[in-house]
Amino acid sequence: MPAETVAGAGAAREGLARRQAELLAALVGGGPAPEGFDPDRLRVQARALLDKRRRVVAAHLPDLAEALGEQMPRLFAGYAEGQPRPPGGPHADAAAFTAHLRARGLLPRGTGPRRWARLPGRLRRLRPGR
Amino acid sequence: MTARLGFGIGWRPPIDLTVERLAGVDFVEVIAEVVDPRRLPESLRVLRARGTPVVPHGVSLGLGGAELPDPARLAHLAACAQALRAPLVSEHVAFTRAGGLESGHLLPVPRTRAALDVLAENVRIAQQQLPVPLALENIAPLLAWPGDELTEGQFLTELVERTGVLLLVDVANLYTARVNLGADPVAVLDALPLEHLAYVHVAGGVLRDGLWHDTHTHPVTGPVLDVLAELARRTDPPGVLLERDGGYPRDDELAAELAAIRRTVREARGAR
Repeated sequence: MPAETVAGAGAAREGLARRQAELLAALVGGGPAPEGFDPDRLRVQARALLDKRRRVVAAHLPDLAEALGEQMPRLFAGYAEGQPRPPGGPHADAAAFTAHLRARGLLPRGTGPRRWARLPGRLRRLRPGR
Repeated sequence: MTARLGFGIGWRPPIDLTVERLAGVDFVEVIAEVVDPRRLPESLRVLRARGTPVVPHGVSLGLGGAELPDPARLAHLAACAQALRAPLVSEHVAFTRAGGLESGHLLPVPRTRAALDVLAENVRIAQQQLPVPLALENIAPLLAWPGDELTEGQFLTELVERTGVLLLVDVANLYTARVNLGADPVAVLDALPLEHLAYVHVAGGVLRDGLWHDTHTHPVTGPVLDVLAELARRTDPPGVLLERDGGYPRDDELAAELAAIRRTVREARGAR
């Protein structure tokens, strides 16, 4: 922890950081269940976070989500389970999911990222369909 | 007593025109993370021009996390409040990042003395950086930490006493905690300093395998309105807001949900 974070609650921060990191690793990083938690609830919470992550990616890739239809949850789980989201927010997660499908020959034709997605921000705002 | 907001609905891009047209919307809330304060969506500008208050609602600050609040996220929330001339902003008692990982959603904070020390310090830092009062919301839990030292009511009450932070009481989340953790919403409401209540959230969810999922994509159910009635019997809520985040129904169904929320509060106030 950087020195500037050690404020009045410094010691408390260290213990809390460890506990929260263990829980989050178990929920999104494929880590072991931390002691004292109900394993069923950890599974339900992990599943809920995965579902949320999939909905966010689907919202970023509406064409792909529509093309995959009912296959999307299974294919997304195959990509994301035990695989934390990459840095760079939902865009990066969506791009990595697309790459994962492409590498396995699972990407439906004509559903890659739209061309505007690669444009700089100023031009991207001009994209159609907003 | 905090500012009177009335009855409202969460403004979301897919239902922006619906929210503009719905009758009886006294205020709205917008997810701060989807707003660029330099380029406010046209629909929010329309609402502001009409005098409808817009409350920025953050979902990623993670004030219950072990790290100090992220200055950039805090600055964004402050900029949203300024751009929208908001009467207040709101966030959650939750953590969203730890050990270099992002949860992508709100996770519960352990209710220990140590975690409360960290949270209270983070809240005070946030309050210093924000131009308007901050309200914090109880989240919808799917799991409980082992070794909690305080109840949710005690934890939130002490947080208010130490920081002066306002409360955003989500009655659907209190109901979620009852189903999933056996925590009695009435006991929480009895413990909370409701004179610090800023406003209330109401939302729909669904029961799956014995657990309540606070989806915001299902209709509001009777048991959630029952918790709202319990709250309204104890205090006149300054604001009550319906959250809907998907599976959007027809406009008249949303209007009917808002009407049911109004009726619930009115009847509970009348029946005191």
